[in-house]
Amino acid sequence: MKINLEKIINIVGKENISTDPGDLLVYGSDSSVHEASACIVVRPGKIEHVQKIVIYANSKKIPIISRGAGSGMSGQAVPIKGGIILDMKRMNHILEVNLADVYCRVEPGVVDDDLNHVLKSHSVFYPPAPASSRVATIGGEIANNASGVRSIKYGAVRDYVLGMKVVMANGDLVSFGCKNRVEAAGYQLDRLMVGSEGTLGIIVEATLRFIPIPKLRCMGTAKFNKLKEAGDSIAEIMASGCQPSLLELMDNIAITAVNKAMDFGLPDVDAILMFEADGMVKEAIDFEMKKIKAICEKHNGFGIELSYDAKERTRIFSGRKKLFPSLSKYKELFACTSLADDMAVPYSKMAVMAQKIHDVAKRNNVIMTAYGHCGSGCMHTKILLDPTKNKQWDNAKNAVKEIYDFVASIDGSTSAEHGIGISKAFAFKKEKHDSLNFMHAIKKALDPNNILNPGKLMDAPDDWVTATRLRYKHN
Amino acid sequence: MEFNNLKKWQDKLHVCIRCGYCFEHCHLFKITGWESDAPRGKLVMLHALLQGDIDPSDSIAEKIFECYMCKRCEASCSAKVEITELFQDARTDFAEAGYDVTGTTSKTNEDKCGMCQSCISVCKHEARSVDEENDKIVVDIVKCQSCGCCVATCPTGAAYSREGFGLTQNELCQQVKNYLEGGTV
Repeated sequence: MKINLEKIINIVGKENISTDPGDLLVYGSDSSVHEASACIVVRPGKIEHVQKIVIYANSKKIPIISRGAGSGMSGQAVPIKGGIILDMKRMNHILEVNLADVYCRVEPGVVDDDLNHVLKSHSVFYPPAPASSRVATIGGEIANNASGVRSIKYGAVRDYVLGMKVVMANGDLVSFGCKNRVEAAGYQLDRLMVGSEGTLGIIVEATLRFIPIPKLRCMGTAKFNKLKEAGDSIAEIMASGCQPSLLELMDNIAITAVNKAMDFGLPDVDAILMFEADGMVKEAIDFEMKKIKAICEKHNGFGIELSYDAKERTRIFSGRKKLFPSLSKYKELFACTSLADDMAVPYSKMAVMAQKIHDVAKRNNVIMTAYGHCGSGCMHTKILLDPTKNKQWDNAKNAVKEIYDFVASIDGSTSAEHGIGISKAFAFKKEKHDSLNFMHAIKKALDPNNILNPGKLMDAPDDWVTATRLRYKHN
Repeated sequence: MEFNNLKKWQDKLHVCIRCGYCFEHCHLFKITGWESDAPRGKLVMLHALLQGDIDPSDSIAEKIFECYMCKRCEASCSAKVEITELFQDARTDFAEAGYDVTGTTSKTNEDKCGMCQSCISVCKHEARSVDEENDKIVVDIVKCQSCGCCVATCPTGAAYSREGFGLTQNELCQQVKNYLEGGTV
């Protein structure tokens, strides 16, 4: 693939491109198991740069992969077909905070936590908050329809996007959506872009709404000697009309990992539930917490502790917040891989899903943990394995298939919040089999030369093990 | 190139799950914005070097020597990757292989140096010494941790380190002065 370096340099300047093999490698990986090499890394600083680069790439049919922090877990930002990596992190300005009309406009490279730092001074916040919010960019969050621990009450990114500016595959700059809370006119094209993983256009500006920061939060923890009882508690809490702002499950493997990595001192029980209620009025929060506590006790939850203290809440939750990297410490020389890592599961099936994860792990001789934002219907897992052994990858492949077969059998969904990328494509295609033609038609209409993040979502290979080189050498 | 020191990390480097949370803590990354300047990027390159996926080069060596060793990334890494120890081993291997790079380490301008040896006395890392044979100050680039004490102490301005990371030494001094005097930067 030949790229006219001089042309690209004329657009963004020499200091904003790299073809160094080290950079190509770094920008060819993310937090997934996948790796591939692009031809060039380009860092646009303004919309005009993006347009010019896209026009050039489209004329030469060169793949173009827009990238935020590269914290995705499914290979969304991995250049499976080479091409141009468009690193959007330089476009990181907060353009407007409009308190009167309750929206803000941001460039795509703004980091989630940085936006919330600014909004905090106005007593408002942008709630999606994935665990990676300290590094994740707004553009990446929109492209993946990210969500996080408080999605149970506040929803995902799609619930906060009012509008956006997008550079389409032909270089046109178009506006989708609006700046108002409601809009009923025509195709909701801004919604189409949310979760499209960079395959339909490049988001260059977003208009987001925000909401008031709750004045009070109360966090609770409950311990369980049986994982099933924790799962049953989740189902009943959600079916009973409770409105927690957070409801998290950690199984024993997650507990052990956090204790090993952070010397955290969590109790050695089968499962812990973390729950929280927030709001402006203490009585309302107490009402929710009392209901949740009673349901946990009904299912043999014990050692229940509640705290309004901000420092204590932060301490309790820091173990959950850093669980993903902590899992690397669970077993010496094992790697923590993001595979089958974010299934959407019906509440009533949460307990069997958690048990299924453990059964599948045992049968396939890998380690898997059941945790996640179960209150919002998101069950996370990770597969811990010896990445140097071929056999372990075969086992992981079997385990992933078994998990997704089970998810399909209980009317779950492939991805709750991490997106499809490469590694979940086979399950996604199976789940969405009757709408794939429509997806292909949309892709063809908006990106006829297939330059925008090609080979992802419905176009990714079925076998994730061989789709790219894995980042671990194995034999 | 032999990775005599780095190779002991071969089976441990995959402990880094590449979450990228270290971006938040890396001053260098925040200034340059290049992911290859952040700890995760450097670990990706070292992993690839050990696996034979990439060849060693001056530019990779330069990146590995670009780190102020503040260890903020390491302190916050929940996977407990021993990041700076890894960098030190990589630096040793690059130096032994003859890579003559600077990174963020300090150097001495011989034309300006009066051989007062103040820089040696303030160096906590024993990175500076006198080359008796050639009558000059030399810097061990593996030992140098880029703390800048020698640069700040040198009365003739002979000790220097690379600028252009967003702030010159004078600007930094002015910011510190402003902060101490008025509480704002």
